[in-house]
Amino acid sequence: MADRVWEVFQQAAEGDPMVHGGSVRAPDEELALHYAREFYGRRQESVRLWVVPRDAILELDDPDLLQPPFDRSHKRPGGYVIKHKLEAARQRAGTSGTGGGGEGTE
Amino acid sequence: MTDTARAEAFYTHVGSGGKVEADDWMPDDYRAAVLKFVEMHANSELMGVLPERDWILRAPTLRRKLALTSKIQDEVGHAQLLYRVAEDLGKPREQMLADLLAGKTKFHNVFHYPTRSWGDVGIIAWLVDAAAIVSQQALRDSSYAPYGRTMKKICWEESVHIMHGRDVVLTLMTGTEGQRSMVQEALDRWWGPLMQMHGPPTDPVTDRDLIWQIKSKGNEQLRQEFLDIYVPRIWELGLTVPDAALHRDEATGRWQYTEPDWDELRSVVTGHGPASQSRLEFRRLHRAETQWVRDAVLGVAA
Amino acid sequence: MTDVEPATRDAVAELLLTLADDEFVLGFWDSEWTGIAPMLEEDVATSSIAQDEIGHARAWFGLLAELTDDDPDRIAFGRPPEAYRHAALMNHPRTDWAFTVARRFLYETADAVRLEALAGSSHAGIAGLAAKMRREETYHLLHWNAWMRRLAEGGPDTRTRLNDALARLWPDAESVFSPLAGEANLLAGGILPESMANLRARWVGRIDAELASLGLVRPTDEVGPPADGRTARTDDFRWLWGEFTSVARSEPGATW
Repeated sequence: MADRVWEVFQQAAEGDPMVHGGSVRAPDEELALHYAREFYGRRQESVRLWVVPRDAILELDDPDLLQPPFDRSHKRPGGYVIKHKLEAARQRAGTSGTGGGGEGTE
Repeated sequence: MTDTARAEAFYTHVGSGGKVEADDWMPDDYRAAVLKFVEMHANSELMGVLPERDWILRAPTLRRKLALTSKIQDEVGHAQLLYRVAEDLGKPREQMLADLLAGKTKFHNVFHYPTRSWGDVGIIAWLVDAAAIVSQQALRDSSYAPYGRTMKKICWEESVHIMHGRDVVLTLMTGTEGQRSMVQEALDRWWGPLMQMHGPPTDPVTDRDLIWQIKSKGNEQLRQEFLDIYVPRIWELGLTVPDAALHRDEATGRWQYTEPDWDELRSVVTGHGPASQSRLEFRRLHRAETQWVRDAVLGVAA
Repeated sequence: MTDVEPATRDAVAELLLTLADDEFVLGFWDSEWTGIAPMLEEDVATSSIAQDEIGHARAWFGLLAELTDDDPDRIAFGRPPEAYRHAALMNHPRTDWAFTVARRFLYETADAVRLEALAGSSHAGIAGLAAKMRREETYHLLHWNAWMRRLAEGGPDTRTRLNDALARLWPDAESVFSPLAGEANLLAGGILPESMANLRARWVGRIDAELASLGLVRPTDEVGPPADGRTARTDDFRWLWGEFTSVARSEPGATW
């Protein structure tokens, strides 16, 4: 039995995402849970905790995979800017100024 | 890329606000600098427990007992958080504890002084923690991201401590003559160490911690921030600060004060403070007493 | 409880004092581990549990203060040592880790039995607080049983330390179930649903079962609680009393 590092994820309120809080050292699962409760729950700041041995976590930080260079703006709302086309269409229809709004119009 | 080129790119990255994670490549210099900074901070939280710890037993009401125990528990928690950050940079916790107890590494000056009364409990929780929080807020944006994130958590927790401290002081200042003089007497003793706490001004051109954005503000700037916020709050209670030269220059907005005793600071942090050796000895004793527990539970000489 | 007869009120006050003082004194001893527990993570856990005890003491003192028209802090800090009603188990300092773990194991098991019974009290205030405390005590029992297991499985040296601690503590542990002054009155009114003797028997059964599961044996026979199980005071407790009343006594009547 030796000390291990355990990563703790916490959920602040029902329905919230699990957020990484930090890590604790403990010799086994039972004490890891107790210590996670102490460091990330003793102030009633969490409704749920996940405790994971650090070596169970796989990390990916390769920028070629996560931030590849070619245009991917078609995959995000910000990639569709329709402001000028909308104004032109309204003018064509004679409805300029009545404004429907929506994404891409700011 | 050669190591030199890689290091140059790294220093440009951190110098311009870029972040570093524990698993990222980093030059040895940077790793060593962050480790030294964080290790001293962790040591300080751990040693910082001791001045106040004596008063856990003596807290005079149920609520104060709860608040003080909770505050000190938080300091232990902060030590844990910071030792974890330092450990992930490559130095085992046990080695850091051994180095601290052997006098090889340092901890902040304020934790080398004794406490004498309940007045100290208020002054420490209010003003020493306030001076610390001024430093810590400036560390939340550290280039070393695990440290920055930890500082955000610590700052949130410290804000509770300051409220507790101020509450204790205010209760004493609205109490008996004996209680009021207890606070003044404590302030008279703690003012010197408080003024030394942020350290002497450093040259921004050679201060690597500043250049590499491990910290974002210089020592003098932190001291000025502390004075700006807290001196008016001290004076409004009718307390006096034991420095006749202390005043704010209206023209420049900067506080003027008697030059802190930097020799005292140097002597204290190298282990010659009034309580330095007794506190290290206390820790050595208790660490030795509980070694059998770690051996049994952690399985290796821990 | 203003329209209750004095004998019952006194009996309830005595019960509340035993409950409050057990938690208060143990909370004080164990808060001494803050900063010097065996591991940093454990330090925070032990401190939380000690704080819980002070919180529970505060609640019991609060109920007592309502009953006797007094102030919780005055009751907690304003009595001479002889007027404290904690069990002899709490006369000992924290001593070492094996001692602390053993005492906690004995006490938390006892407290669980006691609170289970009190949750069924005819006194609404007591029943309500007992039910609330059981929720926090669940964690305490889990934590200290976890440490009992770790020390029992930690090798011959730690088992010896644990057994020695249990042997030293056992006679005083029984004092948690010392018969109460006015117990007959409390039983008659259902304020105490079961006698201390019954609760003690249940507690011994649970202790024996848990020790058996750890491959340990209760080190001595039952002797039954001594008559002064809740009134005998030691030098160690007097020292503690001196410490925890020192600031309050320095300016009598002041607000802190």
